[in-house]
Amino acid sequence: MTERYVIIGASAAGSSAAETLRRHAPKAQITVVSDEKITYSKPLLSYYLAGHLGEEQLFFKAPDFYERYGTQRIHARAVGLRPEKSIVELSDGQKLQYDKLLLATGAAPRFPKIEGIRREGVFGLRKLEDAQGILARLPSTKRAVVLGGGLVGLKAAAALKERGLSVTVLVDSPHVLSQMLDESSARIFEKIFEQNGVTIYTKAKPVAVLGTQHIEGVQLASGEVFECDVVVVGKGVDPRLELLEGTPIRKDYGILVDDYLRTSVENIYAAGDVAQARDVLRGEPWINALWPCAVEQGRVAALNMLGRAMSYRGSMRMNSVQFFGVPVISAGLAVLTPGPLGGRPGEHDETLESRPAPGIYRKIFLKDETIVGFVLVGEVPIEAAGVLRILMERRVNVAPIKEELLELGPDLGRVLPLIVEHKERFVEREFQELVQTVGV
Amino acid sequence: MERLFCDPRRCVGCRACEIACAVEHTPSKDLFRSVLNGELGPPRRRVQTVGAEPYRVAIGGVALSLSCHHCDPAPCVDACITGAMHKENGQTLCDTEKCVGCWMCVMSCPYGAITPRVKALKCDLCPDRRGRTGRSRYACVEACPTEALFAGTFEEFQRVLAEPIRAVWEGAQ
Repeated sequence: MTERYVIIGASAAGSSAAETLRRHAPKAQITVVSDEKITYSKPLLSYYLAGHLGEEQLFFKAPDFYERYGTQRIHARAVGLRPEKSIVELSDGQKLQYDKLLLATGAAPRFPKIEGIRREGVFGLRKLEDAQGILARLPSTKRAVVLGGGLVGLKAAAALKERGLSVTVLVDSPHVLSQMLDESSARIFEKIFEQNGVTIYTKAKPVAVLGTQHIEGVQLASGEVFECDVVVVGKGVDPRLELLEGTPIRKDYGILVDDYLRTSVENIYAAGDVAQARDVLRGEPWINALWPCAVEQGRVAALNMLGRAMSYRGSMRMNSVQFFGVPVISAGLAVLTPGPLGGRPGEHDETLESRPAPGIYRKIFLKDETIVGFVLVGEVPIEAAGVLRILMERRVNVAPIKEELLELGPDLGRVLPLIVEHKERFVEREFQELVQTVGV
Repeated sequence: MERLFCDPRRCVGCRACEIACAVEHTPSKDLFRSVLNGELGPPRRRVQTVGAEPYRVAIGGVALSLSCHHCDPAPCVDACITGAMHKENGQTLCDTEKCVGCWMCVMSCPYGAITPRVKALKCDLCPDRRGRTGRSRYACVEACPTEALFAGTFEEFQRVLAEPIRAVWEGAQ
């Protein structure tokens, strides 16, 4: 009998799963359900908003991807799940029978619960229609307020600035990018934004979006009002769990999955921003709502759905972004300020730091001679990110090269002896080849 | 699939491969003209010192020329938000037209094999040399004066590694 695979969600995780399923099961029946008509790259929306990319450049897969992979793509919303009957119910009335189901429903923007937040003219930046909505208003818009100083908030702010708007960012936290950078690194970017004409207010507590017909401004708890014509919310995302209602699928913040990305219910798997999976740094299941993690999870989930036992190595807190031409890559938990912002106390016992020139910055956090976090700012420093990250992920003791860590480029050679020493942790074919090569 | 490997016993760290790589990725493909016209970008292959002291001596080799391993699955392909980074006949290639410079690939590559210069630059196995190759299909291999660079499968390279090293002129007979 032909296996029936159903995937809910057609973004990073969903499309990666569909591709993997097709590659290994040429005859399987694969159905992908999405409430969006087309598959596009959500992280590119800020580039679209800024005018750097056209709509047709948002596709990360060829437009005929699903056709080419012999996959049925249904434009509908999954509204019900009956695990006891192995059925998914769609908004158009269809009922889909599955043998294996992947939940890749993603996440939705988190809107603060303040007065007027659902007014017309308040946007998230998660869907194409959000960006289109903002762009449609541009001709009559002079001032924008962005709520949230995270990645999406700041990318939106930079994009709107490039469109010629006057932009103010209101940040709850003591500094911007609190989920990505420590305070001193964050200050570098606050300065870059200010230099580019974007006003940033930290420790700002908005209480209301004002206006009647049109948006007039955002009011803070202090009573202060920032006048604006459009509001963009970039305060993080929450996993979309609506479909789990009435099912016994275990969830915490997201859908809990084991190392094979299986949910607690047989034949149902989860991947991407909705899946709470192994986190290599935290030691407990976590959602790192990141594009690379979603693609990898989609592939691993698909392999397990195919019956090829494939263990998921786990994700980690990391990010890469560029603002006004200045790139930054950070990874690890030690970077985060301990407390409600997500950092944990005692995460590091040593920091290495260098700032040889303006706009060039390196900071590496160590604990027990192991890398537990880093921030790299500038085109040359970020070249070391991949090598530092793998040393952190594999928990390699870096004491022998500590003096050189801050000067590290993309120098795999310099760390090769450490990899040889811990070769059992570097199981990838390419690492094993290198170990054999230098071992002669 | 054919990939590139470096024999650390032969590599003397002369960086001829780097300059050949950089020149190959210019419009003129000519060292003099590319310098004159300011076309020269970074090489997609780098000669690296294996190990920091005190390991340098212990490991035996001194220098090693490294570039993209064209791995599968490739973390950089997973990481790419535009679809620029992709697999094609086993090769890992970047469509620079699509690249927006988000550097997710730079963050994800555990080998440090991607260079961020407006676009993500990496080893593309010399597509422009098809039909005009000399001694080797690859610019770096051709440029290597000590024959440290090798094109082939890893199994073939293992056979090279198993042989005792001889000077280039000794092998020529």
